[in-house]
Amino acid sequence: MTDMRTEIETSSAPAWAANRWMRLAALIIGGVLLLAVVQSVSDTSELTTSGTWAAALRLSVPIMLAGLGGMFSERSGIVNIGLEGMMIAGTWFGAWAGWSYGPWQGVLLGVAGGAVFGLIHAIATVTFAVDHIVSGVAINILAAGSMRFLSVVTYTPESGGGATQSPGIKSQIATFDVPVISDFFNWLEAKRIFFVSDASGIIAGLTSNLSWLTVIGLAIVPLSWWVLWRTAWGLRLRSCGENPYAAESLGVPVLRMKYYGVVISGALAGLGGAYLVVVQAGIYREGMTAGRGFLGLAAMIFGNWNPVGTMVGSTLFGYADALRLRQNEAVHALLLAVAIVLVLLAVWSAIRRRYTPAIFEGIFGVLFFTWYITTDSVPSQVVAATPYLVTLLVLAIATQRLRMPAADGLRYRKGEAV
Amino acid sequence: MTEPRDAVELEGITKTFPGVVANDDVDLTVREGEIHAIVGENGAGKSTLMKILYGMQSPDDGVIRIRGDVVHFRSPKDAIARGIGMVHQHFMLADNLTVLENLVLGSEPRRGPALDFESARTRIVELGSLYGMPLDPDELVETLTVGERQRVEILKVLYRGADILILDEPTAVLVPQEVDELFKNLRRLKDEGVTILFISHKLEEVLAIADSITVMRQGRTVATVSPADVDVHQLAELMVGSELPTPETTESTVTDVVELSVVGLGSRNEDGRWDIEDITFDIHRGEVVGVAGVEGNGQSALVDTLLGVRRADAGSISLAGSDITEASTRDRRGAGVGIIPADRHRQGLLLPAPLWENAMLGHQWLVPYAKGPWVDKKGARDRTAEIIDRFGVIAPGPDVPAVALSGGNQQKLIVGREMIAEPSLLVAAHPTRGIDVGAQADVWDEIRNARRAGLAVLLISADLEELLGLSDTLYVIFRGRFVAQLDPRTVTPDELGAYMTGVGVSR
Repeated sequence: MTDMRTEIETSSAPAWAANRWMRLAALIIGGVLLLAVVQSVSDTSELTTSGTWAAALRLSVPIMLAGLGGMFSERSGIVNIGLEGMMIAGTWFGAWAGWSYGPWQGVLLGVAGGAVFGLIHAIATVTFAVDHIVSGVAINILAAGSMRFLSVVTYTPESGGGATQSPGIKSQIATFDVPVISDFFNWLEAKRIFFVSDASGIIAGLTSNLSWLTVIGLAIVPLSWWVLWRTAWGLRLRSCGENPYAAESLGVPVLRMKYYGVVISGALAGLGGAYLVVVQAGIYREGMTAGRGFLGLAAMIFGNWNPVGTMVGSTLFGYADALRLRQNEAVHALLLAVAIVLVLLAVWSAIRRRYTPAIFEGIFGVLFFTWYITTDSVPSQVVAATPYLVTLLVLAIATQRLRMPAADGLRYRKGEAV
Repeated sequence: MTEPRDAVELEGITKTFPGVVANDDVDLTVREGEIHAIVGENGAGKSTLMKILYGMQSPDDGVIRIRGDVVHFRSPKDAIARGIGMVHQHFMLADNLTVLENLVLGSEPRRGPALDFESARTRIVELGSLYGMPLDPDELVETLTVGERQRVEILKVLYRGADILILDEPTAVLVPQEVDELFKNLRRLKDEGVTILFISHKLEEVLAIADSITVMRQGRTVATVSPADVDVHQLAELMVGSELPTPETTESTVTDVVELSVVGLGSRNEDGRWDIEDITFDIHRGEVVGVAGVEGNGQSALVDTLLGVRRADAGSISLAGSDITEASTRDRRGAGVGIIPADRHRQGLLLPAPLWENAMLGHQWLVPYAKGPWVDKKGARDRTAEIIDRFGVIAPGPDVPAVALSGGNQQKLIVGREMIAEPSLLVAAHPTRGIDVGAQADVWDEIRNARRAGLAVLLISADLEELLGLSDTLYVIFRGRFVAQLDPRTVTPDELGAYMTGVGVSR
C-alpha cells in the first residue's frame, strides 16, 4: 500500500506540470519566431520593438485585472457582466482619491469602489436570485450614471475638472527599470539580429520603465491561482461554481462563498480601473474604460477561467491595441500573422481528425492571407476595430475546447436540491 | 458488548406533507453491523423516512435513537456528527473537480491556509484499500464510470467517519456488473463493522444482499422479515398489498376498428441505451389500454415517442391507418392525438399565463383559437369559458392565471382542453395524480364517456385501482419492454406485483 501511494505522488504532479511548462515555453518561442518572420517579410518594424511591448503591457494589465475579477466571480457560479461598471467605479474613485490624496490612496479607493458595486451585484444575484445578466447590465448602467452624477457634484467647480473629467491626480506611481536585464536587452535589441533582437525587444519592453502597480497586477496572477487551486477556501469557492448542491450537502456555506467571489471580482475590476487612472491617464475621463471590462470577460473565457490563460488572452488584446496606437502598417502585418496562425491551427485540427474546425480555420486563414496580399494597408476604421476583430476570431476558434464552471450562471437557492 | 446493539431505532415516526401522509407511525430497528433493506413501491415513504433519519427533514412525531441515545437532527450536519452518512440516488459530485477535491470538500485537511494535498491523498488511498474501493485521487470525476462515481460517493461518506450508511436506490443507475461490484463492496463494508440501510424496490437484489428486510406500503411499515423466510412472490405481495380493488363492471365498448397501431417501437437515450425497446400493441376505438409498471421503466419515453417529442429509433406508429412515425408533434396533434402529461406544471401549463392562453396550447393554430395567422382572443376566451363550464373547473374566469387554480382544477382544465378538441387518441399519463377525490372521479368520468364515444385511450398510471378500473387491456412495462399482457378482470395482485418488479419476466 505504501508503494502504491508513493507511486501516485511521484507519477502524477511533477511530470504533468513540467509538460505544461514546456508547452508554454514552446508556445512563447514559437510566437516570437512567428513575429520575427512576419516582421522581416513585411514593411513594418514595430511588431517586436520594446516600445510596442511596453505599451502592450500597460494596456493589458487593466484588461487582465478585470478578467481575473471575472474569474473569481464565475468560479463561484455568478456570471459577472457588470465588470465594466465595476471598472468605471474604479476609475472614478481612483481619480478622486488620487487627486485628493495621492496615487496609492487612489488605488485603494478604486478597489473599494469596485468592491461596492460587486457587493450590489452579489446582493442582487446571490440573495435575491436575480438573473445574472440582468443584474450585470443594470450594474453597468448604474455605475456609468452615478459616476457622471458624482463628477458633476465634485469636479465641476474645480479647475481642470468638469462633468466628464477630473482634475489631474497629484502624482504618478513610481516606475523603475529592472537592473541589468533592462539595459542588456535594450542594447541587444539595437543590434538588429534576426530573432535575437526581436526577443530582446520584447524582454526589454517588459522590463523597462515598469510601474510598481504593474508588478502588483502581475503578481495577482500566480496569487489567484494559488488561492483558488491550492487552498481549502479556493476549493470551496470553486465547488460552488461546479455543483452548489453538492457543496451545500457537505456543509460549505455556498451563499457566503458566492459573496466572496463577487466582491473580490468587483475589487479586482476596480483595481483595473484605478490602474487606468494612476498609471496611464493621470485623470478620470468619462468612458475611459472603453469596454475593457467586457474585454476582460472575453480574455477570461479565452483563458478557460484560468489565471494564466486570462493573462495570455489579455496580452493578446493589449498587444493588438498597442500596435494600433503605434503604427498602421503594423496592423497590416498582423493580418499575415493571424493568417499563419490560422493555417497552423487548421493543420493541427486536421491531424487531430477534427475536420469541421479544421475547415473553418483553413477558410479564415486563406481569407486573411488574401486580405493581406491584396491590400497595402488596413483602413483606419478597421484599424481601430482590430483588437476586437482579432479577439472575436480567437474566441470563436478557442471556445470549442473551453469548459466553463458547470453551475455558472444558474440560479441557486439554498436547500432546493432534489 | 455481549450482543450486537441496535444502531438505529425509529419509533412512531410520522410525517405529513400538505395532503399526503408520507410516514404514518413508522417503527424500524436496525442492528449494528447488518445490511438492512427497506423495500416498497414508489411513494411508499421510504425516501421520506431516510431523509428524516439523515436530518434533511424533521418528523412531526416520533423518536429517533442512535445506539440508544435519543437524537434530534436539525440538519444533515447533526446526522453526520452522529456517524450517519447518506449516498443519494442522484450523485452529489462536481464533475470538473478531482476525486480528491470532491472527497475532502467541506472538511479539508489543512496546512496553514493551504489544502494539505499530501495527507488527503494518503487518507484516501488508505480508506480505499481498507474497504476495497481503490480510486485514483487525482482523476477528474467526469472521467469516471457511474460505478466509480458511486464509489466516490460512498468514500465521501466514509471519509467523514460515518459508520451508518444510507444508500438510496443505489442500484437504480448501475448496470448488472456494477451491481455485483457494489454488493461486493457492501459486504466488505459490513465486515469492517459498517451498518448499512439499503433502499430498493428490486426484490431479487434485496434478497441477495440484505440480512433483514422491512417492507413499507402507503407510509407504514408492513413487516420486517428475514430473507431466509420469504421468497420473491411473498415479498411482492407484501409490497403491493393483497387487497386490490375490484374492477368496475362497465360494459365493454371496444370496437373492431384499430385506431393506434404500434409495431416494434424503440427509442434510445443520449447514451445510446434503449429507453424503450420492441414495443408492440394496438388500441381499438373505444378501448382503454393501461400500462402498469414501476416508475422509471420507460413510461415517459413511450409517451414522448408516441407524441413525436422524441425520435423513434426503431419500429412504426400508425394512427387510423396512416403512418405517423416521422410526423411532427404538431401534425400528430392536428391528426387527433390528445395528451394529459405526467407533470402538469412542467409539461401541461404555463403557470403565469391566463387560462385562455393555456387552453390554446396544442391547438393554437386552429379555430376557434386562431384566425389565419392571428390569435383570436375572443374565440379563445369563449372556448375557455366553455371548458370551465362543461368540465366543472372552479375558476373566476378565462383571464386568471393558471397558477391561481388548485391542482385538481388545473388538471380538469387540461383534461377539458384535450377533450373539447374531440381527439381520436388520448394519451393520459397519471391523469389523476395529486388531485383530490372529487376531481379524480370527474376525470375518470370524462375518460369513460369519451371511450363510449369511440375514443382510444392509452392510460399510464401508478395507481393500480385506476388502471384496473378503467382499462380494457393491461400491459406491464419493465425496463423499457412490455413484459406481459394481462386481463384486468382476472389478474391477481401477486401476478401484477411480480411482473412490475421484474420477477415474472422469466415465466
